[in-house]
This record gives sequence, C-alpha cells and structure tokens, in this order.
Amino acid sequence: MLTPTKPTSQDATDDAILVVDNIVVRFETPEGPIVAVDDVSLKVKPGEFLSVIGPSGCGKSTLFNVVGGLLGHYNGKVSVAGETIAGPHQSIGMVFQEESTFPWRTVTDNVAFPLELTGMAKAQRIERARHFIALVGLDGFENRYPGELSGGMRQRVSLARTLASEPKILLMDEPFAALDEQTRLLLGDKVLQIQQQLKQTTLLITHNITEAVQMSDRIVVMTYRPGKVKRIVEIDLPRPRTSEIVGSEAFGRYVAQIWADLREEASRGMRDEEKHTLSHPKGGAS
Amino acid sequence: MAETLRLKPAAVSAPAVSQVTVLRVVIILTLLASWELLARSGWLYRDVVPSLFAISRAIFDLLSHGEYYFHLAVTAGEIGTALLIGGLAGLAVGILLGANRYLAKAFEPYLYYLGPTPKIIFFPIMIMWFGVGPGSKIALGTLSCFFPVALSAAAGMRGIDKVLIRVGKSFRASTWQMVTKVYLPAMRHPIINGVRLGLGVALIGTLLAETKLSNKGIGFLIINAYSTFDMPRMYAMLIVLFVLSIGANALVGRLGGLDGIKRV
Repeated sequence: MLTPTKPTSQDATDDAILVVDNIVVRFETPEGPIVAVDDVSLKVKPGEFLSVIGPSGCGKSTLFNVVGGLLGHYNGKVSVAGETIAGPHQSIGMVFQEESTFPWRTVTDNVAFPLELTGMAKAQRIERARHFIALVGLDGFENRYPGELSGGMRQRVSLARTLASEPKILLMDEPFAALDEQTRLLLGDKVLQIQQQLKQTTLLITHNITEAVQMSDRIVVMTYRPGKVKRIVEIDLPRPRTSEIVGSEAFGRYVAQIWADLREEASRGMRDEEKHTLSHPKGGAS
Repeated sequence: MAETLRLKPAAVSAPAVSQVTVLRVVIILTLLASWELLARSGWLYRDVVPSLFAISRAIFDLLSHGEYYFHLAVTAGEIGTALLIGGLAGLAVGILLGANRYLAKAFEPYLYYLGPTPKIIFFPIMIMWFGVGPGSKIALGTLSCFFPVALSAAAGMRGIDKVLIRVGKSFRASTWQMVTKVYLPAMRHPIINGVRLGLGVALIGTLLAETKLSNKGIGFLIINAYSTFDMPRMYAMLIVLFVLSIGANALVGRLGGLDGIKRV
C-alpha cells in the first residue's frame, strides 16, 4: 500500500552510504539572489534506488552537481560512507543528461576512459571495458564511433563508462531525457536489470514520474523554487521489475499520488514563469 | 540506423568520371592552350610568357640537378622549424587564452590586431636579431604561423562541449589528463585548421624573407632566376613550389585525421 512518510521522519538508519545533509545553494542573478536548493537532506542506503523528482526549476540538477562534487559553493555537507566529499569523489559515478560520449573514441575506448585515467594496463582495461559494454547490451559495437550509434546507444555507452569506474553510488541526471518514449522505457528496463544484478546503489534525478516509479525504492518529491523536500514516497512494488509493471494497478496509484504532489508544484512553477515573463518581456524565463 | 547506412561508400552508383571532373580538365586545358597561344603570338615581350615546351624543359632541368634539392631542403627545414615553434607556441597560448577569460580579455585583442599585419615588416628586425642566414627566415615564419594557430586554438578551446569537461572532471582527471585526453582531442578540428592556415602563412613568410635577403633556399633561387631573366626556370620553380604546397597542405589534413575520424 501507499506509505507516504513525512520529510522530517526519514528513516534515520545509520547504515546509509550517501548522506546529503542540509544542503543550501544560492545563486546570484542580475535580479537578486535565488535560493535554488533549500535545506535538502537525503539518505541513501546501500543497494537502494532513490529518485529525486520535481518540476523544472526545483534545483534538482543543482543537487546533482553538488552530490557529484562539480559545484563548489554551497552550505551543508555531502558524505559518502562517513567521509565528507570535497570535489568529485571516486565512489560516485555520474551519468549526464546531455550527449557526453567522446566522439573521437571508439565505444571501447570511451568505456575504458576512467580506467585509463587510473593508469590501468591497456589489455586489462580493454577486457574490463568489454565486460561493461556487454552488460549494457552493446556487444558487437566495440569498435564503432559514437557518431555511428543512435542516441539511446550512446547513452548506454555513457552508462557503461560510468559503471566501468565501479562507483559505490551511481548518480544519474535525467539520462534518458533526450530519448523518445519507447527507447526510454526499454533503456529503463536495462538500467533496472543492471541495477538489480549489480545491487548498485543509485540516485536518479528525473522529472519523469513513470520512470521514477518504475525503478525506485523511494522517491523524493521536491517543491518548486526554492527546492525543498516535499515528501518521500516508498515504492512498495515487487522486484525484480521490468517495464511491464507500468500496466499494473498499484503502479497507477503511485503515479497518481506523486502527480497530485507534483502538479501543485509544477503549476506554481508555470505561474511564476508567466509572471516573470510578463514583468521581463525581453529576458524571458528560460 | 539511417546513419549506419549513410557511412557506406557513397560513390557506388556514380560514374567513374563525374561531370565536374571533366569541366575541371577542360578549364586547365583551355588555360594551357591560351598560354601557349599567348607565348607564340609575339604580343608580349619575348620570354615574359615562355612556351610550355620551354617551361617543361626547365622543370626537367630543375629536377635533374642536385643543387635544387639542396635549396629545397633549406626552405623545407626553415618552414618545418617555423611551423614547429610557432605552432607549439600558438597552441600553448591559445589553450591558455581559451581556458582563462581574464587573460583572453586582456590579450586577445592584440592577437586580432597583430594577426592580419603583414609580418614582412618585421624582417629588418629579424635580420638584426638572427642574421641573414636561415635564422631570420625561421623567425619570420614562426611569427607568421603563431597567430592563426593561437586564435583557432583559443576559439577551439571555448567551443569544447562543456559536458565533456564535466565528464573528465567527474572521473577526477588531472590537469594534464584533461589537456591530453579531453581538451586537445576535442579541439582537433580547429587545431588542424589553424595549423593549415599557419602552414600557409609560414610558407609565405619564409619565402618572402628568402626573396628579400638570403643566399640559399627556394626564394633565393626564384629571385635569382628573375634577376638573370631566366623566365622558364622561374616559372618552373613556381609550378614545382605550387605542387609542393598543395601536397604539404594535403599532408597536414591527412595527418590530423580530418577525414578519418567520424564526427557526431
């Protein structure tokens, strides 16, 4: 059944591998400071799949950059297995929303990139790369260049590349946002399958409700600006899951519940942007 | 999958000799015929337009004497050295300016103003600093090719897809790894274009310097042929030089894998 919990009463288990503690991020803009992320705290347990969902402008990509260590100026603390991070951490592997394969490298060399940085011997890293290429189902394409692949395949290369660095925590920012709906569902299957196979701790940033419910153990719903945690929803659906679960009744109820929460925030965001566009006709709200 | 299909050889159904090729050959033949006509007409002063036969014989003479190859080697060495020094310096400066907005704002205007300035005006200074030998030619060639390489490298650096930089950083690449494994390969197209432009102007700078004041090199030979009014020899050298420059340019493009690497 539905078991929504209050943001304050997050299960404070001490075995959390990733702890995001009271993160506040402010940006200076020409129209004054904006609080992008306002006092967000999360805990991710080992092996857990946690999604952060929210409307555009809720600061979820900012949160992604904070946890990934790519953003310097914030208040609060992010720690991995008890260690506070400062900058990109080896235990956290990021998958980006944008097209991020290296076009001048073959699939194998793309996936072997993080291993190359650590100075692993060539034969060994190629072998490891091949393992992860097979894991994302791209065997046979090892020597192709990204330009020869479809968008969905390139995103799988990015995923394999991040997995090859064997991160304790997989951190993804809307990795399927640029793909069409069918590819997105099938790729979601692939991610689920890999996540369940590797027992990979995963933090997914998304605005897609279906995607979030399909994959997550828990979903964090964020508010529109300033981005706060509005609610944390436990998804009590059986595992292993596939995209077929999308048709089930329980699935539909979770989607409806989260949409009810999100709708309020999304429409607040829309009104805000309309107001902004009216008062700044040229600037526009991007 | 349309992309995969497109990568197959495109010329399967095209005829062996396209219409454009025919047109090109016709243009060249027309030019040669007009030249020969002009040479035989007697309208111009004798030898200003030598006949094709005389030029061909001069080319043959030129290429069958070792002396020409010595001068060719001198000039090639000068240009090669200029390209190496100017190219590396341009690359380093370009990366620095591309990476640092503050430095770029301070220095890039100077590059833009100095870039198109004919570098030959600095030749007297170069002679004073580096002497009449190859040194002053290398200096002028270096100066010539520094600017296009630096400007394209700076623009290339700024044009790098930001997400690729974030990927490198997320995998905790060191600064050196970022330069060699992300920045440089991501900038390969603008860099190759910069080096091509650089090669062109290094060629001009070096040869121009040789024609002004020197005792060896192709520029020296050309101006020597001119001052002894050996027109067929002069034309022969110009034609050989023309062919060599085309070859050098093609080589730079090929070495950079401009055609080899598939773009997204």
